[in-house]
Amino acid sequence: MDLELNDIQQELASTLSKYLRSEYDTAKREEILRSDEGISREHWQQFAEMGLVGLAVPENYGGAGMTFNEVAVVAEAFGRSLVLEPFLATAVLGANAIVLGGSEEQKQEILPGVCEGQTFLALAAFEPNSRYALESPETSATSAAGGSVTITGEKNSVLGGDVADHFIVTAVENGELGLFLVAADATGVTRAAHRQADGLGSASVKFDNAPAQRLGGGDAREVLAEVIDTGNAAIIAEAVGAMEASLTMTAEYLKTREQFGAPIGANQALQHRASDLYAELEYARSMALYSRLAVTSEAAGAEKDRHRDVIASKIVIDQSARNISQESIQMHGGIGMTMEYPIGHYAKRLTVMTRTFDDADSLTAELAEIGGLIEPQAADLN
Amino acid sequence: MDTLLNAEEREFAQQMRQFYRTEIPEELRFKVATGQELTKDDMVTSQRILNQHGYAVPNWPVEWGGQDWTPVQRHIWLEEMQLACVPQPLPFNVSMVGPVIATFGSQEIKERFLPATANIDIWWSQGFSEPNAGSDLASLKTTAVRDGDKYIVNGQKTWTTLGQYGDWIFNLVRTDSTVKKQAGISFLLIDMKSPGVTVRPIQLIDGGHEVNEVFFDNVEVPVENLVGEENKGWTYAKFLLGNERTGIARIGSSKVNLARAKAYAAVTKTARGTLLDDPLFSARLTRIEAELTALEMTQLRILSTQAAGSDKPDPRSSVLKLKGSQLQEDISELLVDVLGPQGLDFVSDRVQGEGLSDLPLGAVDALPAYFNTRKVTIYGGSSEVQRGIISKALLGL
Ligand SMILES: Cc1cc2nc3c(=O)[nH]c(=O)nc-3n(C[C@H](O)[C@H](O)[C@H](O)COP(=O)(O)OP(=O)(O)OC[C@H]3O[C@@H](n4cnc5c(N)ncnc54)[C@H](O)[C@@H]3O)c2cc1C
Repeated sequence: MDLELNDIQQELASTLSKYLRSEYDTAKREEILRSDEGISREHWQQFAEMGLVGLAVPENYGGAGMTFNEVAVVAEAFGRSLVLEPFLATAVLGANAIVLGGSEEQKQEILPGVCEGQTFLALAAFEPNSRYALESPETSATSAAGGSVTITGEKNSVLGGDVADHFIVTAVENGELGLFLVAADATGVTRAAHRQADGLGSASVKFDNAPAQRLGGGDAREVLAEVIDTGNAAIIAEAVGAMEASLTMTAEYLKTREQFGAPIGANQALQHRASDLYAELEYARSMALYSRLAVTSEAAGAEKDRHRDVIASKIVIDQSARNISQESIQMHGGIGMTMEYPIGHYAKRLTVMTRTFDDADSLTAELAEIGGLIEPQAADLN
Repeated sequence: MDTLLNAEEREFAQQMRQFYRTEIPEELRFKVATGQELTKDDMVTSQRILNQHGYAVPNWPVEWGGQDWTPVQRHIWLEEMQLACVPQPLPFNVSMVGPVIATFGSQEIKERFLPATANIDIWWSQGFSEPNAGSDLASLKTTAVRDGDKYIVNGQKTWTTLGQYGDWIFNLVRTDSTVKKQAGISFLLIDMKSPGVTVRPIQLIDGGHEVNEVFFDNVEVPVENLVGEENKGWTYAKFLLGNERTGIARIGSSKVNLARAKAYAAVTKTARGTLLDDPLFSARLTRIEAELTALEMTQLRILSTQAAGSDKPDPRSSVLKLKGSQLQEDISELLVDVLGPQGLDFVSDRVQGEGLSDLPLGAVDALPAYFNTRKVTIYGGSSEVQRGIISKALLGL
């Protein structure tokens, strides 16, 4: 059993942390947050040049040909620095959908631009009536003679949809779920850009007979499931980075903030609660590892367990993120609620991350429905 | 609650219910009911109507516009006001500075300020907290140095809620730094238009501007603006904070917010029906409802013993603050979870335009309110401070 990062991954983690500490500090992030687009295209270019955007894209499409293990390292580092650029939307969800589901031609056409930092992608899957269910969208696809396809429907909560050049859209044709590629500037595409509470961009998008291409020819259900599982595993890694930074900052604050003539951290009431948060962070780290192993496992039959293991991980992460984000603000007092101080920004990111593809309730219900993690045993009472 | 009331109290509740629903403009109540932000004018309008009918400051002495009500009646007044979604009178005026002036102020200061305070002709701000005096309020450093017939005030206050609208600020200031910290504090009223007063906004993570920093740079304040005696300010502040704590459980508002979450959940579709039918969601909701009932009964139990005579601040009100604030936070989180993926954006309008459908009910306010509501376990004596009071005053630890 080897649960540690290998040398290459450790190197990636430390190089990236160093880079982010100097190039993506609170002040620089603040500037990006306040800019019109809410992202820095220069930073994105840098990330691309560092090979981060196409990290898990095969080399023949311009990527680095690595695995989700490395993606998780990046996500965790980005979580620690609260990176605003659409890594999850483009490099994880979007790139993965194309790598897993796209035809050779589509991969050739889109992935090199993604890896070079020129093209943004977004997965358009949620709808006004869908809540967190993705399997049966109301959006429809219609094929015409000659192989052309059009998409009609409305999507919301499209992460990174504000800047996307291509949407990967879920739609139903003849009762079957499909994935479709739609160019953002195609006729019949209208979007309303929004900012999430955490500052990341999103959009609502309307497709009105918009010209589209079917993504590859495989089973869209399987592709979507894997894209979401991997997306969740990336969210989990990112959340661990954000939680770790929050707790470190909170512990530091407990040591330095003085009230009643002593550091507030001298109060056992706060020490014990901070210790509980530490225990939760350890859980979160463990489940980040568990979900990473689940999405990278090449063992026979691993696919069957992948979804189950990722949602089990996410249930634990949601709990840790809730407690760490709420308690970090509480233990900071008023300053924790200000835009000027970083702790509230972490709370915002964590609050959004835990509700991006699902929430604690939807996951718990789903895990229970698929039978949980432990096989029941008939008690042998004899 | 109605079943617990006697015939007169029920009649009184009915009367308040009727009054709020007929006299306070529907448009204002709708804003509160749907979580919209109130403007300064909205708040002033509401308080003036209440004041015209004697309902703005019932907790004050009768001669200054108060009502000779029992604690139960006062509770009904507030609870029904919250249930009717009436914008509440400004707490800084009616529950904080008003009672302090009425109890400890000179006749001149009462005449000068109380009528204008009740009618919100003066908008008051609370100048207690400082960057280094939060939970440990008594360590405050803003100084007021006597110079003939005036004080010269220097220092900084922070977290001043709605200070951007403030006409006057009631400040705790240090007038003697040679004695024990609690013994050198005075309660001083300062005109915010005085030269040397600067108000700077603080942005909060809910995206709003609710609090401010207030700086005092050689501000001249006439000595007649001192309330009560010099160096007795800590006594007045404790009196004020004790008053603040009782209304702070916000049970009526919590009921309204919970009802709102429930109504929205009933129209939120899920794969299996509506969110209200979802077993996990409804279990969580139901537990909160039961707990809210427990909070209300606790409040009524405390009130009924007060009605029986004791007028001293009851340390059990810390239980109300501790539990009531936690419930407010839980309910705000519940509403966020009703919205699901559509509640994650900060938007200023449900209407998206361009042929896109409107965002669901609550999409504008649920998440900002969740972040804003973090304050309720921090201010008015944080949850940790309340636990400290409970363990000392009630458990003797
Ligand atoms: C939105 C908002 C509005 C406000 N409006 C006003 C206003 O209008 N006027 C005004 O004067 N003030 C206002 N306040 C200030 C408020 O009263 C203070 O924030 C509060 O007293 C806490 O102080 P602090 O923020 O400095 O936190 P700190 O006192 O620094 O506390 C930080 C953390 O340590 C904990 N802690 C402190 N001491 C102990 C201890 N002995 N044992 C255990 N835990 C401890 C606290 O509970 C908290 O969790 C407002 C605050 C907020 C957030």
